[in-house]
Amino acid sequence: MAEALWLITAGALSLAGMAWLALAMEGHWSQVMQRPAEAAIRTRQALRMFGAIALPLALLACLQADRPSMAVLVWLMLLAGSAVLVAMLLAHRPQALRAALPLGGPGGPGIRRGAS
Amino acid sequence: MFTRFHLSMAWLHTWFGLVLGYVLMACFFFGTLSVFDREFDRWALPDTRFEPQPMPSFDKVLQPAFAQLQPSPVEYDLQMPVLHDPALGAPTPRLQLPPDEYWAYTTHRDPVLAIGAGFRVPLAKDPTAENHIHGDATLDPRSGALVRADQLKIGSQWFYPMHYGLNWHWNNLGIYIVGLAALGMLAALVSGVVMHRKVFKEFFTFRPKKHTQRATLDLHNLTGVVALPFHFFFAFTGLLIFAGYYWFPVSQFQLKALHDQHEVVEARHTGLPHARSGVAAPLASVDAMVAEAQRRWAARDAAGQVGFLQLHHLGDANGYVSVYRAGSDRVALVGEGIHFKASTGEVLREDPAPSAVGQITEFLTGLHLQHFKHWLLRWLYVLGGLLGCVCIATGFVFFVEKRKQQHAKTDALGSRLVDALAVTTVTGMVLAAVGMLVANRLLPAELANKGEWEKWSFWGVWLLALVHALARSGPVARARINPAWREQSWALAVLAVAAVVLNAVTTGDHLLKTVITAPYWPVAGVDLSLLVTAGVAVWAARHLARRERPATAPTTNAHPTPLAEVAHG
Repeated sequence: MAEALWLITAGALSLAGMAWLALAMEGHWSQVMQRPAEAAIRTRQALRMFGAIALPLALLACLQADRPSMAVLVWLMLLAGSAVLVAMLLAHRPQALRAALPLGGPGGPGIRRGAS
Repeated sequence: MFTRFHLSMAWLHTWFGLVLGYVLMACFFFGTLSVFDREFDRWALPDTRFEPQPMPSFDKVLQPAFAQLQPSPVEYDLQMPVLHDPALGAPTPRLQLPPDEYWAYTTHRDPVLAIGAGFRVPLAKDPTAENHIHGDATLDPRSGALVRADQLKIGSQWFYPMHYGLNWHWNNLGIYIVGLAALGMLAALVSGVVMHRKVFKEFFTFRPKKHTQRATLDLHNLTGVVALPFHFFFAFTGLLIFAGYYWFPVSQFQLKALHDQHEVVEARHTGLPHARSGVAAPLASVDAMVAEAQRRWAARDAAGQVGFLQLHHLGDANGYVSVYRAGSDRVALVGEGIHFKASTGEVLREDPAPSAVGQITEFLTGLHLQHFKHWLLRWLYVLGGLLGCVCIATGFVFFVEKRKQQHAKTDALGSRLVDALAVTTVTGMVLAAVGMLVANRLLPAELANKGEWEKWSFWGVWLLALVHALARSGPVARARINPAWREQSWALAVLAVAAVVLNAVTTGDHLLKTVITAPYWPVAGVDLSLLVTAGVAVWAARHLARRERPATAPTTNAHPTPLAEVAHG
């Protein structure tokens, strides 16, 4: 049971990490937020950092669930799956990715601070 | 902007990708199905739908079952003239060949287990060689009864060999073609990354609303890049698994003397007898040996079930029993074999821990062959395999989209033919696989050689798909979409639903039962996957219908900047 929880955590971290990395990119940010990306440089920098931290954390969660040899495989495949999911959301439901913003959705404090 | 290097990489990627892509599509698709090969087996053989069983008692269950095994008549006719020395006497009749070797194999996903025997040719031309004629069977470990032999385990005996050898047995040509395709794939991956140039900038990029050529290339890049480690390691480890095999011509002829000598030296080194002594000896309790092996594994903190059991030199003083551990709890494919003297049960040898290189090899082959018990990783492998399929399929579509306008002007047949073959290997191949499942449920259970009929229905459906794709390819010559894509998607939806319905009708295992009232996931999983396949097929067919309609108006062909955007490829 604990393994399942760790794997769910790993999946969530990898999905969030990929979403943050995507949002940190200029084109995807404006696609999701419908606002110019130049105005949110600091927010996007923070998102890139969150993403870069979340993905290794996902590996740590995988290592809690399985022996290392297996965990590495699960992690790599979770990353692939998360990246595809994020790309598909960007293509079909870009606004849905606003849910991935750590400090609330559109107009949340984090965004306002970054946008101002 | 383009260097010679880039152009040569583009050439390599385009043409190797196209020619080998048809083979790779089969490798990826049937590889994906093979992740759940044992589950397809359950679906196809309703009398094996029960819970996976551990290796049964040798003394009570296996030994009487082994006694029922007979040498295969086909192999006898083929091998007897090769192995038997007529100068020493008349050939031994098939049923009088003495058994020399027994084996039994099971995994954590197998209700039934595979067993087999090697029968010795007594008057052999080369007495130092193994001289075996084989016979095998499938055993129900609960009752000890053999499962009817002329049925086909569609997953492990058809989809899986399709994956690595295309089921083309003549001179094992299929295995060599797949090896070549895997090598080509490694080259295609490297050249693809070189051509892409925006690996990170366009990491998440998919623009379905842009024109077909752009959207297709996006999807090709996306599915190729995000699963790049999967694609690379599966092509590479696939080659590694068969590395010894691809050298077959050399190892069997030029290097045979060396190989035989190595076996003798190895036997001296391990203390496990290489040949029979000629002195008869009884067999001690194999169950006691298995118990001792399990005790020793547990002492090493690796308690586990027996995956593979093998008895060598039966009834001889040199006989020994090898017990291997099932690798369900780790990636590396390790047997941790423990070997016992057959007549006494004393331990002859414990396989030592592998060297560093050995450990890497075991990890790499293990990650491909997946004996581990990890359902999430299995499904993630399915995802990886399907991403590979999408990558190859979009490669075909991009090739055609890029050229069909030009070919329409010059009346060239190239894109029309490539497109028809793409239909055959994309929708046609899925149709063949699902058609085979439908045939499995439609053909009467008592039909003799039922498995052969299923194989013919597989090839038959695939051939029909090819003929249909070619016959309907006319519009491609006018730079439009081949309607066969849409029509085969509809056919697939119908067949996939039919397979689920037929399974419910002929076996009573409908989804309400296999999911809720009496959960049996191997069958429910196949049924649900078939329904998802049907759903995707309907979606694709409707989408294609929308795309076909505006194509009648010539204006949609005038994209202002397609060449600037899609400069490479």
